Amino acid sequence: MGPLDDQVVREDSLTATPDGLDVAIYTHWYRALPLPSLAKVELTVDGERIDPQSLAVTVNGHRYAYAELAAKGDEYWFTTDPAVLHVPVETAPGREHRVQLLLGLSIPYILTGPDRVPLLAPSSTDKTLTAAGA
Amino acid sequence: MTDTAPGLPRLGTTLFSLTLEQRKPGRDLASLVGEIAARDLGPGLEMVAFQSLRGWPHPSEEQVREVRGVIESSGLTPSCLAINNDLGLYPGRLLSADESYEYVAVQVRGAAALGFPVTRVGVETSPATLERLLPLAEELGVKIGVEIHAPLTVDAPPVAALKEAFVRLDTPWLGFIPDMSASMRAVPEAVHDAHRAAGIAPELTALTERLWASPGLTADKFPELEARAAEAGATPPQIGNLKMLFTMHGRMDPDRWAEFFPHVVHVHGKFYGVFDGPDGASDPSIDWPAVARVLVEQGYTGFISSEYEAHAYSDRWNVFDQLRAQHDLLKRLLEAQPAVAR
Repeated sequence: MGPLDDQVVREDSLTATPDGLDVAIYTHWYRALPLPSLAKVELTVDGERIDPQSLAVTVNGHRYAYAELAAKGDEYWFTTDPAVLHVPVETAPGREHRVQLLLGLSIPYILTGPDRVPLLAPSSTDKTLTAAGA
Repeated sequence: MTDTAPGLPRLGTTLFSLTLEQRKPGRDLASLVGEIAARDLGPGLEMVAFQSLRGWPHPSEEQVREVRGVIESSGLTPSCLAINNDLGLYPGRLLSADESYEYVAVQVRGAAALGFPVTRVGVETSPATLERLLPLAEELGVKIGVEIHAPLTVDAPPVAALKEAFVRLDTPWLGFIPDMSASMRAVPEAVHDAHRAAGIAPELTALTERLWASPGLTADKFPELEARAAEAGATPPQIGNLKMLFTMHGRMDPDRWAEFFPHVVHVHGKFYGVFDGPDGASDPSIDWPAVARVLVEQGYTGFISSEYEAHAYSDRWNVFDQLRAQHDLLKRLLEAQPAVAR
């Protein structure tokens, strides 16, 4: 609900690669968060819902399967660095895509309710953008 | 650096205020710190370690040298390093007491290496963990302060437990960091901007604000807010935003900050906007005359970090203008307080 929400997916976030569509995302939280905080990545490309388990994510130069992030508590996604979602959809340089993303970040130091569950901070994006070449 | 008169609280800025600036092209730590110094918004400098320092909580020796160099060459004085106790680091479980201790201890050591005399943790850090950290704090000469941020108040059970521990341990190395979000008198205009942008009907924002301002404990008002907002057609994300208005803005009487003394190790000058009016500059949301009176009466001579947070809702105002306006207001109010005999 603030100015950083609009920067989660930027104008130049899409890149077409031989393997699919790369979507560079930036955090809407003010501080670096550990990788398990990428708790919810609900992505829809051109109306097609993407199974998070089919995603790979590159952070800090390391490429992980989405499911691996939950165990990477010793690595952090820095405030000004992108995390790149590798999405298995067909694309080509110059092609337009509608990208809808609900990114839910688990905030590990804000515990809510009697069960002390980390706050889930959501950010929604709905943008139609053109993929650049790799 | 312009300082307040001797014997008064000192001013400063936290880089958290520059959250949006940090994302702009060409910005780095040196340029943000340099601009705080150039605009005379010190002398105190605070930063959030996980926000400003890539690689935290394990900075390299080279990075430590570099950060120290940036601070030293700016002429600013390190006041506080905000660190975090990420208890919910892994899904489905909280860190154990040992893991939590280690997670914070490595950051207190990092703060010492960087030259910060105070660290900030949150209320999720238990009195037992703090007591265990005490020998390390003492050895390193780094204080550990628990931030009292909305929705906490002096009456909250975890705050009472902390106070009991600080009184019992009778130590200058552990204490509180009051954050003015806990003692607000009005909802900031920036929140209205964000609600409009989120498509929330102005009547719903107004209703939430009326409930917020009504007597009684905020915690007891959530059911009525949820029911009335749902009835008015608000979506679940919109209801989440409305509830955030309750949790981010506390209504404690600012005079009650006195009850946290003598255990105050640092102060967060949280604010959302200082605006010119017919009677000069003032802050509609935070009663700075009352806060300044309490801090001077208590003989507080530590730092007040200006912490501009309207950026979480709106980019309508210039952060540097806002920091200047708050510094000028605070300096005037602090220096106008009658001297307190000590």
